[in-house]
Amino acid sequence: MPLLLLLVVLTVATLCVPVLDRVLGRATGWPLAVVLALLTVPVLAQGPRLWNGAPALEASVSWMPALGVGLTLRMDGLSWLFCVLVLGVGALIMAYSARYFPPGRRTGFYLLMSSFALAMTGLVLADDLVLLFVFWELTTICSFYLIGLSGPTAARPAVRTFLLTALGGLALLAAVVLLWTHTGTTRLSAVLDDLSWTRDTAFTATVAVLVIIAVFTKSAQFPFHYWLPDAMAASTPVSAYLHAAAMVKAGVYLAMRFSPAFADTAVWGTSLLVAGLITALLGAVCALRSHDLKELTAYSTVSQLGFLIAVIGVGTPQALIAAAVHTLAHALFKATLFMVVGVVDHQSGTRDLRELGGLRRVMPITATVSALAALSMAGVPPLLGFVSKENVFEALLHTPTVPWAGPVPAVAAVLAAALTVAYAFRFVYGTFGGRRLRHPGTRTPREGDAFFLAAPAITALAGLVLGVAVPVLNPIAERAAGDATHETAEAHLALWHGLNPALGMSAAALLIGALVAWGLSTTSVAVPLWRLPVRGTAIFDRLHAGVIVLGRRVGDPTRSDAPTRHLAVPLILVIVFAAAVAVRGLDYGTPVGDASRPLDWLVVALVTVSVVTAVAVRSRMAALVLIGLAGFAVAIWFMFLGAIDVALTQLLVEILTVVVAVLVLRRLPAGFHRVRPSRTVVTAVIAIACGTAAGLGAYLLTGRREPSAVSAHLLENAPADTGGTNVVNTILVDYRALDTLGELTVLGVAGLIIIAVLRSMGLSEVGRLRPTVGRDNPVWAADANTVIMRTVARVLIPLLVVWSFYLLARGHNASGGGFIAGLVGGAAFALAYLVAPNASVARIRLTYPAIIAVGVLIAVFTGLLGFVDGSFLRPLHADVPLPWGGHYHFTTALVFDVGVYLAVVGVILTALNQLGLPRPDSAPAPAPAPARRDAATGGTR
Amino acid sequence: MTLAITIGVLIAGAVYLLLQRGMVRIVLGFVLLSHGANLLLMSAGGIFRRGEPLLGRQTAGALADPLPQAFVLTAIVIAFSITIYMLTLAVTGKGDDTEDAS
Repeated sequence: MPLLLLLVVLTVATLCVPVLDRVLGRATGWPLAVVLALLTVPVLAQGPRLWNGAPALEASVSWMPALGVGLTLRMDGLSWLFCVLVLGVGALIMAYSARYFPPGRRTGFYLLMSSFALAMTGLVLADDLVLLFVFWELTTICSFYLIGLSGPTAARPAVRTFLLTALGGLALLAAVVLLWTHTGTTRLSAVLDDLSWTRDTAFTATVAVLVIIAVFTKSAQFPFHYWLPDAMAASTPVSAYLHAAAMVKAGVYLAMRFSPAFADTAVWGTSLLVAGLITALLGAVCALRSHDLKELTAYSTVSQLGFLIAVIGVGTPQALIAAAVHTLAHALFKATLFMVVGVVDHQSGTRDLRELGGLRRVMPITATVSALAALSMAGVPPLLGFVSKENVFEALLHTPTVPWAGPVPAVAAVLAAALTVAYAFRFVYGTFGGRRLRHPGTRTPREGDAFFLAAPAITALAGLVLGVAVPVLNPIAERAAGDATHETAEAHLALWHGLNPALGMSAAALLIGALVAWGLSTTSVAVPLWRLPVRGTAIFDRLHAGVIVLGRRVGDPTRSDAPTRHLAVPLILVIVFAAAVAVRGLDYGTPVGDASRPLDWLVVALVTVSVVTAVAVRSRMAALVLIGLAGFAVAIWFMFLGAIDVALTQLLVEILTVVVAVLVLRRLPAGFHRVRPSRTVVTAVIAIACGTAAGLGAYLLTGRREPSAVSAHLLENAPADTGGTNVVNTILVDYRALDTLGELTVLGVAGLIIIAVLRSMGLSEVGRLRPTVGRDNPVWAADANTVIMRTVARVLIPLLVVWSFYLLARGHNASGGGFIAGLVGGAAFALAYLVAPNASVARIRLTYPAIIAVGVLIAVFTGLLGFVDGSFLRPLHADVPLPWGGHYHFTTALVFDVGVYLAVVGVILTALNQLGLPRPDSAPAPAPAPARRDAATGGTR
Repeated sequence: MTLAITIGVLIAGAVYLLLQRGMVRIVLGFVLLSHGANLLLMSAGGIFRRGEPLLGRQTAGALADPLPQAFVLTAIVIAFSITIYMLTLAVTGKGDDTEDAS
């Protein structure tokens, strides 16, 4: 049987759920049950082969070949047992669900349940550590959603379960990675076959602890036991599956699977045994104390898992046989009990033991079914639970793991088993026994119908049949334990082994349990057992809240809107790095060529004066002008460096920045904020340190090599490659056109963001910067004062526009290009804006967002045209013959530059129009309204 | 040496302004910072050759590296768009105080 088929069919079934659910509603459970049952059959059919010693089935599909990770599946005796449980119990619970829920759609439930079945099947079959981890996490995720599905009250339990089991998942991931790096393979069977890695005891102990954390969180072992009862917030079929065959059994499977590797690791056996027995006792006590049937059953799972983990900790083949059989027995009786709780709850309206009693009169079949399961759980012959528990006792008696413990494990196990007897009795007697029929509703509860009871009846009867015919389990247990321990295991499962200590322990457990049960049933008061001083969920919530508070504390220093708090940190780090480099020292190399010219000092002086005064002044306008001056000085620097295009761009940007900034400043107070002198000192120290670091860095780390090979290549090949002689422009529109396209887009987005920000927040009010001159002052008359400017502008604006087109067209061969041309065109609009006598004239009626968009689109379109020649953004060339002779070299790079031009112009228009003018919709009502009022008052006079 | 001093002065001024309260001062600091960064890019290309990279006018040996120039050119325009965006932020809401306790 191809193993992959199992996963494929389950996946397909899961994908079909939404469709099935639309048609069938809650009855979707039936087809899913059929699918799972049909899958169980071929798996079961593999059993005899395996028992006869056939090698394990294997299947593999390449998944991540580069990493050696494959979708590798393997079915040996151990995987077979768990696979049968997952599919078989899954089928029964699906069938049960079809009757349990009220009619209606259950997409989420069935989708998650079938995913859960898929994840569990994958988990027990996975022969790849990575795959194992993936399925392990998938079960965690499925359980989270399944629990959370039950409504708002289940949210917290779902989160608690998820966080805790995810913690175990992380531990498993760490273990997987450690094993992978240490052994060099991800094949689980290879890792466990060649145990040479276990010779490194420290490493083995580390991996063992990680696996223990994974197992304990998944299988709800002390001190992580509390999530399981917490998770009973989920609907009953979910709980039944989670507790009987899925989720918690994943931990049991992992522990059994890894037991040969850690057989000699003290921490493994001791932890499993001690925690398992504590859990068994603790769970039993809590179960006995619970009034809620479901809570009782949940705690019973905790307790039974404790038995399983403890006996796995013993580690002998006999112990693993006991674990395998008890896993089966537990799956059967626990699935039954949960389903019965669902039936009782469904039929009587409550599952509180204090409100129930005597239901056997009206629900005899349910009572019988629960009694069978409860007797199996209590370990009463001839049920399967008796055999499995006796084997557990037997294994615990022969504990090689902790020889110093002596009879303690055995005594603890007997006590836990005795309490099990008591709560099993409480479950059945409290619900179905007693003289009077008790139930909360007015309507007498009725027996559930055949479909409802079929699934629990099957599991309960299986416990009985397998108990009587227990020797048939011998080969199953032998093969499972043999594959788990890598040793030959001989199973002698039988109801009667003669008089031996284990039988004595069983008898003692039954006797003490009966006494406790009798004691409890004769005292009508609430169970007078001690209560634990703390609850696991409370501790978890405290820890959870603590972690969040800690995170908040850690994040507090950055929880501020003030940019200073955020900017200071990287700046100070820069200083630290610079200091570290300075102390450490580097081979800086020797400067190449003479990097300084005498004339440079003039610019240095200009920059220094403007920067120093700009930081010192308190007037905003003065600071702006001085920063502009520094910008002009930098433009001169660029010119000195032979970067004429850059210098032009810098110059134009500086002009436009000042224009836009002035528009902004008139909405703000004239002076900057005052700050404390101490802050000024600290800021100045940081600033000087940063400046020194930057200056020294620039001096020591640059200018110490010959021109780069890229530079030489570009200078040599640009004309041939692109047909242009302005190398800078050819880089922008040809060599690195994709970068330019990206920058263009940033530019356009900035323009759109400005519009969006102002639409959503609005501009602050204009008016605090009113002119303080009187009406008789010549400055007052704005219109008259701009006469000269307007006259010049009338000529200059068309000239600027024409010049910008010229710069655009010639950019490929001489200084110019889209950016510069766009800035010149933008400057023309800025001038037009500045000379406008009032706001309505100044308003630029072009749809500037459209201009930006068209610009970016043209650039992209040119890029797509490049595909004609093989790649995005590759320019196309054509020589256009001119009427007066000669050729004009046309290239689509020019069209690309037109896109650049439009985007730049669009952004400048956006800034001018958005920042400079009151918004049309927020503008105060203009003159007509008062005029009308005047007319009206005039009329009354 | 001269360019390194210029960069140092620009960065010092930029950092001082960046750490102030008013958004406008922070924006002006950002402007200076972009100047400093752009000059550093130029410096990285090597500045002892200062010929304009317009071919066919000078001998190739003296030409400056065109690649940093192209980077800086686009950087200037991007910085411009970011600057006007930040200026917009400075005038939305009330005033430009970034550390207003309320």
